[in-house]
Amino acid sequence: MITQKDIQKYISKIPPTPKIVKKTLDYLSDGELTKAANCAKEDRALCIYLINLVNKPIYGFSNEVKDIVQIFSILGINESMQVIYNYMLNILSPKKWEFFNLNENLFHNLQSELSLSWTNILEHLQIDDREIQTSITLLPASVIVSEALFASHKEDVELIRSTKNIDLNKILKSLSGYSLFEICLLISKKWEMPASVGKIVLLSSGEKITEDDTKSLMLGKWMHLLLFFTLSKPAYIEANLNDFLEFNIEFVEDVYEEFLQVMEIES
Amino acid sequence: MRASIKDSIALFNPQGFLDGNNASSLLSVSDMEATLRLKVDMVLVSLKKVIFFNKNGLEMFIRLFEKVRKEHRIMVGFCDYDDKKFNAIKRFFEKEMNFFLFDTYEVAKLFTNGFNEKEKTILLYSQDKSQRAAIAIELHNRGHNPIIAQTKADFEKKKESKDSFDIIIEKTYLGDMGEQVAARVTANAVIYTLSGFLDNEITSKFNITYHNNSLNIGFRLFIFDAFKVSSMNIHGLNFFAKLASSSAEYNATLCFVGFDFSNTPSTFKDDLEDAGILFYDKIEEILGDKELLAELGGSSAAAIQQKKAITKQIVSQLPTFVNAIVETLEMMTNAEAVKEEVKIKELTLMGQKNLLASSIGFYGDMDGMIVLIFPKNIAQESCSLLIGEKTDDLELILDSLGELVNIVGGKLKTLLSDAKIYIQITLPRTYDKIEDLLEVIGQRKGVQVDLKFGSEHFTFFLTR
Repeated sequence: MITQKDIQKYISKIPPTPKIVKKTLDYLSDGELTKAANCAKEDRALCIYLINLVNKPIYGFSNEVKDIVQIFSILGINESMQVIYNYMLNILSPKKWEFFNLNENLFHNLQSELSLSWTNILEHLQIDDREIQTSITLLPASVIVSEALFASHKEDVELIRSTKNIDLNKILKSLSGYSLFEICLLISKKWEMPASVGKIVLLSSGEKITEDDTKSLMLGKWMHLLLFFTLSKPAYIEANLNDFLEFNIEFVEDVYEEFLQVMEIES
Repeated sequence: MRASIKDSIALFNPQGFLDGNNASSLLSVSDMEATLRLKVDMVLVSLKKVIFFNKNGLEMFIRLFEKVRKEHRIMVGFCDYDDKKFNAIKRFFEKEMNFFLFDTYEVAKLFTNGFNEKEKTILLYSQDKSQRAAIAIELHNRGHNPIIAQTKADFEKKKESKDSFDIIIEKTYLGDMGEQVAARVTANAVIYTLSGFLDNEITSKFNITYHNNSLNIGFRLFIFDAFKVSSMNIHGLNFFAKLASSSAEYNATLCFVGFDFSNTPSTFKDDLEDAGILFYDKIEEILGDKELLAELGGSSAAAIQQKKAITKQIVSQLPTFVNAIVETLEMMTNAEAVKEEVKIKELTLMGQKNLLASSIGFYGDMDGMIVLIFPKNIAQESCSLLIGEKTDDLELILDSLGELVNIVGGKLKTLLSDAKIYIQITLPRTYDKIEDLLEVIGQRKGVQVDLKFGSEHFTFFLTR
């Protein structure tokens, strides 16, 4: 169904980071918000993406924001970087979703919800780290990779899953030797994302429950729980995203109560 | 959300957070309807991967359960939970628990009409005395051996001697049984357990599809355990007389054991005997007498086989059958299959050793049986995707081979429906001894397709 060759072919087809995006990210890394915004203005598609995104109800602005410099100023450096990485990920997303019942708008919502909740979590944990904040942007790559690899095998996957409750990650790993999150890691390397981004996302798979780097492991747990909290929302359940990965309850047990508080969920 | 179906249990596996907002998305009416079309014995929602739920969320499931229970008379409920979740469910629905709670899926299986459950020894404890008794009776009726712990301390003590039981039941609650006639399989005989007054209701309580599937698979002896039957009226009589005559077309035998006619007109017994139904006092009279068992058709499948020829229609669809199998195995192994030989003949295995097999029947617009025969290492390879790793555990491999042939059956069903040929598939059977399979197939001719996976041979046999 899916072989190692298919994975290698998929990775080789991923385009490098567009020049303007790379330059914008470099400016943001240097703390140059205005220069970054002016640079971003050169990419028309990026501008449209930014304007559409920040004017979504989830960002809660009362007046429409159209100016890129203003957008970057409102978001601040860390969130601006998150948004740029989210934009990059969109380069990989399909024009038409076939495996999942997603569309462009719903996928953007997923990215935004994850990013904003992650920011809240990091605030709660009192972590102010640019790389950690942007790590969440790589997580939805698992959805895009699943779509790309499994779209032409939808019936086969449904057939297997009608007999055995098995997630896409296990199917992929068994057939190709790669897990979805390892492929995300390859994407992050290709895009020269900071190493810590890939590491946290890899840990957020919930597959590795011990790790020497306790801070990254703890963040992996929060991210794993956040992912399944988000995928429990009706729109994503109906998009068939609730069970494409396996939720590891044991992995997140020690952060669960705190998570309920941050998300203001009454137990 | 789609259910995964195994052992006649439909299992929904929601993940994450469950509340009133998302419950109807996790399990919709159409999901349930699609599942019920597959004629399952039980519908369960696994709470294993649900980290949070509230009353509103569960209530939406329970409303759906209630409808299914009433309209389809099947068991519905939850499984796979810890103490905290079990206690929460009991607290939420204390006075209206019509649904079932099973510690695990394995425990739930004990209460279904599945084929493959052998007699199990079960350590049982429930705080609720009436539940404890009800569970014990139900397990006993289904051919299991419950060891009942009367107190928590007794339970903890008995739990220490792990070799003395197969399964533990601690957090199970029996709701409404759905009143289906329970069935189990022993020594190639299907045993149905009847109870109460047998009237017109039996037509809805008796799973005729299950019975027909059993006939299609090759079962020829059906025993009705009637110890708990109080009486029967004319509607009950007509039902069993009709069942006997339709089963006779398959050369099947129907027997009643333990039927007390003191409250039933004695002429009914004559009428049932005229319809071909036999009467015995005890089930052991049949199961303990190998000669009688063989005479009645329950000793082996070989003694009861039907010799039906392969039809032109099946031969014309042979490429579809081969495609379904090759595509499934290639999908599961990522290896290419090469077709070596296709011949209509008796099943011939060229002195190969270490073989395992699985089979599945199909019926509808065409009928027959698919048999897959694997060298053990190919079976291990094919099942590693379903098991999650390569294993030497024979029981696990056989279990997965059953799932594999089920997937082949599902694929075949889809491919044939493209050609406007509609079939249903039976439950799968597996064989760890190839002699058992050869005994079942006997002298039957069929289409034998030999395939090669790398250096290994794999055989597919299609017969009727």
